[in-house]
Amino acid sequence: MKGLLEYCRGNSFLHSCNPLIKIAAAFIMCVGCFMCSSLIYVLCVIGITLIAGYSAGVGGKVLKIFTSLLKLGFILLLLQIFFISEGHVLISLPFGIRVTAEGLHFCVLLALRIAGATLPLALMLMVTKMSDISGALVKKLHVPYKYAFAITTALRFIPVFADEMNGIIEAQTARGVEFDTKNPIKKISLMLPLCVPLLVSSVKRIEDSSTSALLRGFSLRTYKSGVKTYPFHLRDAALLSVAAVTSACGLLIGILI
Amino acid sequence: MISIKDFSFTYKGSDVPALSGINLEIEDGDFIGIIGGSGAGKTTLAHSICAVIPHYRPGDFYGSVTVNGMDTIDTPPEDIAKITACVMQDIDSQMTTSVVEDEILFGLENFSVPAEETEQRITEALEEAGIPELRYRNLNTLSGGQKQKAAIAAIIALKPKILILDEPTGELDPQSSVRIFKMLKRLNEEHGVTVIVIEQKIMLLCEYAKKLAVLNRGRLLEYGSVREVLKDAARLKETGVSCPRVTDISEELRRRGLYTGPAAVNVDEAAEIVKGVCEADD
Repeated sequence: MKGLLEYCRGNSFLHSCNPLIKIAAAFIMCVGCFMCSSLIYVLCVIGITLIAGYSAGVGGKVLKIFTSLLKLGFILLLLQIFFISEGHVLISLPFGIRVTAEGLHFCVLLALRIAGATLPLALMLMVTKMSDISGALVKKLHVPYKYAFAITTALRFIPVFADEMNGIIEAQTARGVEFDTKNPIKKISLMLPLCVPLLVSSVKRIEDSSTSALLRGFSLRTYKSGVKTYPFHLRDAALLSVAAVTSACGLLIGILI
Repeated sequence: MISIKDFSFTYKGSDVPALSGINLEIEDGDFIGIIGGSGAGKTTLAHSICAVIPHYRPGDFYGSVTVNGMDTIDTPPEDIAKITACVMQDIDSQMTTSVVEDEILFGLENFSVPAEETEQRITEALEEAGIPELRYRNLNTLSGGQKQKAAIAAIIALKPKILILDEPTGELDPQSSVRIFKMLKRLNEEHGVTVIVIEQKIMLLCEYAKKLAVLNRGRLLEYGSVREVLKDAARLKETGVSCPRVTDISEELRRRGLYTGPAAVNVDEAAEIVKGVCEADD
C-alpha cells in the first residue's frame, strides 16, 4: 500500500474541484453502492471511479487499490460463502457445507461493494491535499481547526504507519524472520508481535508531531487564519451532479429490483 | 536574552536528572553550539528553552529558564513560540502536513501572517534552505536530508528571534551541511537572530559558532568562546567530544614545545601555525 493513499499533484478536473465537493461526491458514490444490490451497478461505480482516476492521472494507483481490495473481498467471500445455505445449491461439500447461488451472489456483491465504496474515497484523498481538506472544513463549514486537523492528521498517518510497519518487517526479515511465507496463519502469527513496537513508535511519533505543531502556533489558529479560500465553481456543480445522478440511478435500480 | 539559573530537570519515571545545576546566559545575537556525548542532556536543554519542558514533557523542574524575560513555567508555550522556533532531531515527527509548501504555510497561517506576505516568505525560505525545486513535493517522497531542509525552511519562514536546531545536519551530506551553517550565520549576522545549534560535527561549530557549551552527563562542563573551550582539548576528549583535527595539530605542537599560542579552530589558523613553526625551525 506504500504511497497509494498519498496526494498526487496534478492539474486535472478533479484536482481543481473544491475539497468539500470532492468529499461530498465521494460519500454520495459510497452510499450509492449500498443502496443497490445489482452487481452490474456496483461494477459501473467501480468503472466510473477508475475512469475518473485515469483522467486525474492516478488511474494506476486506483487500480492497485482495487486489486488489493479484491484480495480482501476474496477472503471475506470465503468466510461468508459457507454460512449462507439458502437458495439453489451449486456445490455440496462434506459436513453439510453447501455453496448456494444466493450465497455466492451475496458474497460477490459484498466484496465488490467494499471496493466500490472505498475507491471514491481513496481517489478523493489522492487528488486533494490534506491541508486543503482541513482548510475547507474550517473556512466553509466552520469546523474547529483542532478537529479538522485531527481528521486530516489521522488520514495522513495511514501511509506513515504503513511505512513504519514495512520498516519493522524489513528489519525482522534482515534478522532471519521469514515473512514471505505463503501460509496466511503463520504470516499473521509473525506479524502480531510487531504490533507492539509499531504502537510504541506510533504513540511517540504522534506525541512529537503534536508538540511540533504546538510550537508552531497551532493553538493560536482561528478559522480566519488560513490564507487560502475555497470558492465553489461550475465544475464543482458538475462533479456533484455526476455523483448524485450515479447514486440516484443506484437508488432507482434498488427500488425496481 | 535567555537566562538559565540553577536549572535541573528529571524526566517523569526516571531517577537520574537529565540536566543538573545548569547556569547559562545567552545574549541576543549569539551563535551558540551545544556539544556533548550521547545522553549529555543536549536535547533536554533545547526543549527547556523552547518551553517543551515543562509544558509537554512532565518531570521535576528546579531553577528557572527565562526567554526574553518570560519564565517558561509561567508563560504559555505559544507565547514563547512567537519568538523561538525549534527544529527537532526527529524530522519525520516534526512534519504536520504532506506537502513541502503546506509544511511552510502551516506555521505562517497559525501565526496569522498576512496573505500578501506568505508567498514571499515561502519563496525566500525555500531559497535559503536550497530547495526551491521541492516546493510541491510530497514529504513522504523526500530523502532524510531533503526533509531536514524542508523542516528548516518551515522554521526560518517564521522569522523567529531565537532559532534552536537539534542536529540539523544529521542526515545531510557535507556540502549541504556547510550550506545550512552558512545560512544560519547569515541569519545571525544580518538579521540578529540568536542561533542555538546542537551538533555532533564539531568542525562546523568551530567554524561558524561564536560560543560553545559542552554538556556531560547533564552538567555544563564548559561554556565560552570556541577558542576558550577548545583550549582544554584533553578534558573534552574525556567527555567523548572530539576536537577538530586542526585543533589536534596545534595541541600536538604545543605538547612538543613548538607552539605556545591559542588553539587553532580552523584550517587557515592551523596552516599559519604550522608555517610559523616551520619558519622558526629553519
